[in-house]
Amino acid sequence: MLDILLPAIVLSGLGFILGLLINFVSKVFHVEEDPSIDEIVDLLPRYNCGACGHPGCKEMAIALLSKENKPADCKPIKKEQIPVIQEYLDNYFKNKKEQANQ
Amino acid sequence: MDNLLVLAFSAFILENIILSQFLGICPFIGVSTKRSSALGMGVAVTFVMLISSSVTWLLYKYVLEAFSITYMRTIVFILVIASLVQMVEIFLKKVSPTLYKALGIYLPLITTNCGVLGVAILNISKEYNFIQMIVYTTFIGLGFLFVIYIFSMLREKLDFSPVPKAFKGAPIALVIAAILAIIFSRFGGII
Repeated sequence: MLDILLPAIVLSGLGFILGLLINFVSKVFHVEEDPSIDEIVDLLPRYNCGACGHPGCKEMAIALLSKENKPADCKPIKKEQIPVIQEYLDNYFKNKKEQANQ
Repeated sequence: MDNLLVLAFSAFILENIILSQFLGICPFIGVSTKRSSALGMGVAVTFVMLISSSVTWLLYKYVLEAFSITYMRTIVFILVIASLVQMVEIFLKKVSPTLYKALGIYLPLITTNCGVLGVAILNISKEYNFIQMIVYTTFIGLGFLFVIYIFSMLREKLDFSPVPKAFKGAPIALVIAAILAIIFSRFGGII
């Protein structure tokens, strides 16, 4: 019985410690980012398939915000989702313009 | 000291991780199209290999051997390497954004690089002590850097060469990798 329990305990203990460490590191070394990036990632399919040419959906979101890509460049996206992202981006750019004008 | 020199040399050339042990082939083919990205990948791999090998070596000696469950090493090492790469990524993002941008895409790729796991396991199966392990890992990493850099220079030249259509891209790269591996296998006579 111990033969099975011991590896399980060691491995889950190790996983727990590493998980805590990652959590700790990510809190200590937290970097402020544009919250819009995460909001766009939520609108994208989140497959991280790389078909757009970026390594993942997050990089695609950054490219969308800097106008390097269009939402339609995302290959696996559902048709009805494209206008939703476009609307979000239009709002984002409008807000940015207004802020710059003020 | 002499032994360490021999170890360093054999790790660098004779037991070259790519061309003699055939580990880490994916980044070797995938990230070698440009010299700058090959250099970035090589440095990142060396860095991650050093950290993960040190941690896995200590874990093996003081946890797995203590509980006599050494057969668990592969799964434990995978867990440790994946978490370490994650932590290094978060750490770099905060401390050095320029380095993070330079390595950014390659760091997550290294999590699944079998070279890193391979070195961690080789260190154990060859029963190295801590100093030998550090020397071996460093020079395996530098060997990776060296070969991927040479290969990227060859591939940059290849862009301007008349390659038959059927061989363009990855096929001709594999042919060249094979020729390089033949050359490296002949270095075995030096020691």
